[in-house]
Amino acid sequence: MKKIGAVRRALLAATLLVSLSASLRAQNEAQQFPVATKTLRNGMKVLVQTDHSIPNVALYIFYRIGSRNEHPGTTGLSHFFEHMMFNGAKKYGSGELDKAMEANGAANNAYTSENVTVYQDWFPRSALNLIFDIEADRIQYLNFDPKKIESERGVVASERRTEVDASNGGILDEQLRATAFIAHPYQWPVVGWMSDIEHWTIDDLKRHFEMGYAPNNATMVVVGDATSEEIFQLCEKYIEPIPQHAPPPPVTTVEPEQMGERRLVVHKQAELPLLMIAYHVPQTNNPDFYAMNILRTVLVQGESSRMYKRLVDQDQIALEVNLTQQPAFDPTLAIFAAQPKQGVDPVKCEAAIFDELEKIKNTPISDQELEKAKNIRLVEFYHQMRTINGRANTIGTYEVFFGDYNKVFAAAKNYAAVSKEDVQRVAQKYFSANNRTVGTLVPDNARDRGAK
Amino acid sequence: MRLLLSGILALGLAGTAATQTLKLPPHEKVVLKNGMTLLLMEKHGVPIVNVAAIIKAGSVADPVGQEGLASVTAELLRKGTAKRSAQKFAEDLDFIGASFGAGADVDYTAISGEFLGKDLDQGLDLISDAVLHPAFPQAEVDKLLAQDIDGVRAAKDEVQAVVLNYYYGYLFGNHPYGRPEGGDELSLARIKRDAIVKFYEATYTPGNTIMAVAGEFSAAQMRVKIEQVFGAWPAKASSLPPVSAPTAVKGRKLLLVDKADSTQTFFVIGNVGVAENDPDRVAIRVVNTIFGGRFTSELNEALRVDSGLTYGAQSFFDSKKQAGAFAISSYTKNESTVQAIDLALQVLAKLHQDGVSAEQLASAKAYIKGQFPPTLETSGQLARLISSNEFYGLGDDEINQLEARINAVTPAIAKQVIEEHYPADQLVFLLIGKASEIAGGVKKYAPQQDTRKISEPGFWPGAK
Repeated sequence: MKKIGAVRRALLAATLLVSLSASLRAQNEAQQFPVATKTLRNGMKVLVQTDHSIPNVALYIFYRIGSRNEHPGTTGLSHFFEHMMFNGAKKYGSGELDKAMEANGAANNAYTSENVTVYQDWFPRSALNLIFDIEADRIQYLNFDPKKIESERGVVASERRTEVDASNGGILDEQLRATAFIAHPYQWPVVGWMSDIEHWTIDDLKRHFEMGYAPNNATMVVVGDATSEEIFQLCEKYIEPIPQHAPPPPVTTVEPEQMGERRLVVHKQAELPLLMIAYHVPQTNNPDFYAMNILRTVLVQGESSRMYKRLVDQDQIALEVNLTQQPAFDPTLAIFAAQPKQGVDPVKCEAAIFDELEKIKNTPISDQELEKAKNIRLVEFYHQMRTINGRANTIGTYEVFFGDYNKVFAAAKNYAAVSKEDVQRVAQKYFSANNRTVGTLVPDNARDRGAK
Repeated sequence: MRLLLSGILALGLAGTAATQTLKLPPHEKVVLKNGMTLLLMEKHGVPIVNVAAIIKAGSVADPVGQEGLASVTAELLRKGTAKRSAQKFAEDLDFIGASFGAGADVDYTAISGEFLGKDLDQGLDLISDAVLHPAFPQAEVDKLLAQDIDGVRAAKDEVQAVVLNYYYGYLFGNHPYGRPEGGDELSLARIKRDAIVKFYEATYTPGNTIMAVAGEFSAAQMRVKIEQVFGAWPAKASSLPPVSAPTAVKGRKLLLVDKADSTQTFFVIGNVGVAENDPDRVAIRVVNTIFGGRFTSELNEALRVDSGLTYGAQSFFDSKKQAGAFAISSYTKNESTVQAIDLALQVLAKLHQDGVSAEQLASAKAYIKGQFPPTLETSGQLARLISSNEFYGLGDDEINQLEARINAVTPAIAKQVIEEHYPADQLVFLLIGKASEIAGGVKKYAPQQDTRKISEPGFWPGAK
């Protein structure tokens, strides 16, 4: 991520899992802002949603390239490349891109995941021309200055120290994924292993650029104070002349079925232990997506959720418990994370989570729980749709991960169709012992802390 | 914590996009018979209602040794009321997809609620139940205190979550602004239910309450509803202890918090800053955008863009009712600790020496104005803004005149702001890192050197 220090995984989880509704009313309101689309001659698809409420525009470009397109030895390259996209091209040289944007009232950022690299611009409509000029410049003519590469390497290493070394959650999450996947590229961290960060070469970067940054490998979403006519005109002028070329080769590795529980332990200095449990689940565009989201809400959302009630409120063994699953092109992980209280053996939290999962598997949830989950989804849908930034991200994420932005508007219908039996079925299907990886962080100074 | 503009300033645009007039949408202020201040703003489009209430008692009202009392009181509001158990409250709230939150800031307690417009009666019933009728059941008090104590420990495992707790403790010392809003491992353990009930009775009064409601409703109808629900709250005298203005630290001092496994040093440098209503606040905002408030700021250019020493460097004024803090903050690997701090100090010295250029001023002004509209796009943002402005005694001109005030900042004004509000040599240093590797190098920054271990309970010297 270019500059925002928020935890990447949390951000991505919020993108897709927290954005849908179960109500026809929501569907109707979403459609009050129609989306105009156009596929440019070079293959880039452009989606525009006009909204004049504020004189600003949010512009997102999703490139379908991420750490899943990397290989051992150059892990983290997609993310490093994302940083380099701010370090100068032909017309806007090193440092000039950010200076030109900010002097015109614009701000930018970017994020990288296992699957995509996403560039974000937020600006007053007066900066429209400038933004297109900059985006076209860096897609075509990115400059690879060896001095800049070295200094940016230091920036990314610092980012890794902050997000991983200085965060127990970051460390355990990384180890958990590396254990849960043995074949598929989802096994390595998006930021990359430190030794790979230290060893990328300029040639690695150039190859990555040629592979992933074709216009036909990108989707642009524009929401705000701009009409589709003017955006399509700007695209014709700035983007359409960029030639298309071959997209990244398909990722063919399929993670073999997990045939038994895996466990890992991290020992380090810490005030409190940590617990994470990962289950293999299907990719985002699988039909079970909706039932899994309802199940997640029933399990962990709100203080009336099952896991909160059990671990935090009744047994008082954890400070919090959550369940996250990020958008993914390939089969991915659903991860429970629990923060045990001091002196509580993480095994107790683990046992309570397993016990609650067994209950869900054995007995359907109540009608009341199902209705509650659908109501919570409705409000979350409004949260996403009430800002131009939220809509740009949501529309783009659906277009990229479901292959069709219209799924945003169909979500209401798809959630309404989820039954108690569906929720029970997905719990049974995915939350099995053989399919899980359990990671525990154990404070190595626990004996000095009066732990029980 | 990043380079995005801090502070809540924005606008709702009235009129067309072509007129670049920044204007707060219409809203009304009513003082109920019992003394509660009510602010109402209609905001149509999304069928959501947001409530943002302020109780004029924050962590500054915590008795010494019981830091966290205001915070715990706020957190317990929903944990059992006269008619609902904590679990019943959670079920009723979650069932309609509503949310409720309460927590103590330094100057005040902030309460927020959100629900769909169609659930107005239930939403208001839940909020009023928590604010007017909390029962503070002993079992919930015990549970929450134990959780909060472990919450402090968990935060210490994520260094960035606690950097400012240590900095404020060290900067403000015994002034109430130095004490942690959420308390610490020792102070929380001392809090008893009686103290919570007493704090609630003494400070949660209609006269101490500002309530802003924004969203999808008719203001006339909402006013009647609120008067029905909150008008019955009996008026009561409440005297809050005055808070003195903190004084700047003279000379230099440095606190090194040892985290033995740290691969990076997190540092904060600064001194006492300004109050929220400081007459120079707009000019400070413009100057700080240039110095440390955006990606191309002088600090981020020097420490990140040009040298690759860090993922980010920034500066900010955390303004309060009285003078708050000014801070420069960044982090870098253990080996480059001195190099990065030296560089930050050079950038600060250069600000004093060279001031800011006309070009920088023009860019910063455009940046602030361009990034302004989306910060008040939602009813939640608007409700928080108008309640906070009311608390700090800032009128609508805070928004409506902002553009004119930004435009009026000249290089001469910027120079005066730098001299007056940016520390030069009198500096407080807070570092969290691996003492065995960095303690020697950082001795040169200050004659007074203090140390503590991150595992020691508390954040500030006064914590015992």
